[in-house]
Amino acid sequence: MMARLARIVKKRIVSGDGGWAYAFIAVALVVFALFTAYPVIHAFMISFQEYKPLGSTYVGFDNYVHSFEDELFWKSIKNTIVYTALTVPVNLLLSFGVAILILPLKKWLQTSFKAVYYLPAVASGVALSVVWLWIFDPLQSGILNQAAAFFGIGNQNWLGTSATSMFSLVLMAWLSSHGTSIIIYLAALIGIDNSYYEAAELDGASFFQKLSYIVIPFMKPTTLFLLVTGIIGSFQVFQNAYLMTGGGPDNATTMVGLLIFNNAFKYFEFGEASAQALILTVIIAIISFIQFKFLGNDVEY
Amino acid sequence: MTNKIRVFASVLALTVSLSALSACSSGNNGGNGPGASASNDPGAAVDAKDTITALLPPVSANYQSNFDQMETDFNKLYPNLTLQIEPASWEDITQKLDTQVNAGSPPDIAFIGSDGISKYVEQGMLMDITAEATSDIIGDFDPVPLDYMKNGSGLYGFPAYMSIHALGGNKQFLEEAGIDWKSVQQNGWTYGEFREAIKMGVVSSGGATSRYGFVFATSGVTAKDYLNILIKNAGMPAAFDKDLKYAYTSQNYLGVLKAVRELIDDGSMPKELSSVDAGKRWNMFLTGQTMITGKGLATFENSAKTNNKKIEAADGAVEGSIPVDYVVLPVPTFAGADPVASAAVDGYVTFRGKKEPTEEHKANVAKAAYFLASGKIAATTNTELLVEQITDSGRAAAESLTVERDPDNAAASQRLQSIASPARPDIPAELGAEAIKLEDEVIIPKFQALLADEITPEEMFEALKKAAVEAFGEDGVVTE
Repeated sequence: MMARLARIVKKRIVSGDGGWAYAFIAVALVVFALFTAYPVIHAFMISFQEYKPLGSTYVGFDNYVHSFEDELFWKSIKNTIVYTALTVPVNLLLSFGVAILILPLKKWLQTSFKAVYYLPAVASGVALSVVWLWIFDPLQSGILNQAAAFFGIGNQNWLGTSATSMFSLVLMAWLSSHGTSIIIYLAALIGIDNSYYEAAELDGASFFQKLSYIVIPFMKPTTLFLLVTGIIGSFQVFQNAYLMTGGGPDNATTMVGLLIFNNAFKYFEFGEASAQALILTVIIAIISFIQFKFLGNDVEY
Repeated sequence: MTNKIRVFASVLALTVSLSALSACSSGNNGGNGPGASASNDPGAAVDAKDTITALLPPVSANYQSNFDQMETDFNKLYPNLTLQIEPASWEDITQKLDTQVNAGSPPDIAFIGSDGISKYVEQGMLMDITAEATSDIIGDFDPVPLDYMKNGSGLYGFPAYMSIHALGGNKQFLEEAGIDWKSVQQNGWTYGEFREAIKMGVVSSGGATSRYGFVFATSGVTAKDYLNILIKNAGMPAAFDKDLKYAYTSQNYLGVLKAVRELIDDGSMPKELSSVDAGKRWNMFLTGQTMITGKGLATFENSAKTNNKKIEAADGAVEGSIPVDYVVLPVPTFAGADPVASAAVDGYVTFRGKKEPTEEHKANVAKAAYFLASGKIAATTNTELLVEQITDSGRAAAESLTVERDPDNAAASQRLQSIASPARPDIPAELGAEAIKLEDEVIIPKFQALLADEITPEEMFEALKKAAVEAFGEDGVVTE
């Protein structure tokens, strides 16, 4: 029986297109195994160890227990949630707004705007951070401070105080890197068949009626996709805090991503960093599951 | 035709996947390095061939352009040995080194700050060269900087230089404010004198300050530098006193924290100080927005001079900058404590790989580290950096080199060098690690909050005291 089964399987794999298919996915499979699956499994193993290059020691659940007891870990989770709650919805709204504005334009103008909005995604994050550091210059000569003075707001130490440092990072997120979302929204908008608008116009629908009865329902899968990926990305955010504030002042902008990075590469505590990274993975998985469960019900692809 | 394409595609797919695999494995082999493999030959004679690898950043302006010459000179001195230098930039040397260390295959020698030694000792990745450092070699070094390369009983490399973290003043502004800077250079100053002096340096009109008395870079982790140079002059040269009790719970510490707030509240320092980084404050110094800046390194005299020349030639000077004569100034002292100059020692630290190095290889690495840290190389590098020579051989080699340096600054630097805070290899590694943890988790975050006026000095002091007692026990901390 087994031999027969094996023969069938072998025959299927070798004959016809099966063998070729496996040859073709080999590249992706090897790359995935090497650079995704293996590191995750390895991280899982390290999370139960105290890592040392010359030989790690097994410490059981110590790294997990320590992470759960660590005030800074919870503070960083809180910071990440605040950052996510402030940035992701606003980013979606802004991207959607820009996409709607671009939609009626001529093809070449659409492409130009898409390129312009996508440009920051291509630019180096480090270069962008340098520009933002310059904008957030704490002295009166700083750009944002001069803009604030125009509205009668006093000099602000943007990145230097707990009161404004998180807002500064959020502002930075609001005003940059919507390129990908805009392109995805635009693609979805173009995909809506014209007959819906024509029918609505025959019924005398206004712009906002078309928006709320045609566009928004059609955008639901796209929005869900962008929301889920946006939240995942935001939970992993690291670069902005690392480059702009280093997590300060008083850890007011220490995100989980930055905390994990510091534990691993500053303090060489790879075990604890791996444990925290896996906890983060579980949190992200739970949040994504909840989103699909409650928002994905009536989405049709 | 389709068959051909299929065959070609699968060959391509296989090649790509195999090359991905082989790239990984060859990376591991390469990581072990020729030095490590040579070191594992137990039968090697004393003059057997050996290669020593070194990871070196651009220590001074012309340092990296001399690498070929260094390799050749070393090979002439020891014909059986090859020095293989891998250049790195300041930005990526730590990352490069850490990657190699954590993979268990570091270079034999890396140029790093001595404050990084404890971290690598704890990982077991440093090579103790106590037995290989002969009395001739040890005798060549000044004892204070050499001690910085020690940890417990081990010696983990040789120091290249000891740079003093002081303050720097604008000569013209100091004189306008009526400050006798020469006397300060020679006799130092107290916190009270300093506080009054920098008040005099402030220029403001209509509530807007166009020039501060004092600006220190405190953004992010540089906050640590500011606090550290101050507390060293408040009777706490290290985190532990002679009896190995944690020192930062002393009332003097609170005094320094209060002083930090006072200087900002006086208006002598900007209230946005917590966001001022190293580049910003140097820009403020060159553009006349501050009278005194910190931290000040000896080489800043050169930077100021270079900018002055550019202003004269109207060629690429810092925008809005004015000609500045840089004056080396000591850090003020607190509560009658002795002045102590904050010192940073960088040097050639010796690493080991996963496999135990042989005696021969250890001796060869020590030879290479000494070669880099002394004589001609040390002389040229330290002259370029305007720092004092710390080896006799370096001093001898530097005699022929001309140094364009302000004599008052040179004298002040020498005085500071003589009161440099000594290293404390007697502090056990676990205590040291615990103190670093306190610094990272409590001191720096709370100090950032103090600078931003979000907590009071008392609140910060209490938070630190609580954490210190938790870490070291009631008996492990200083109480008066």
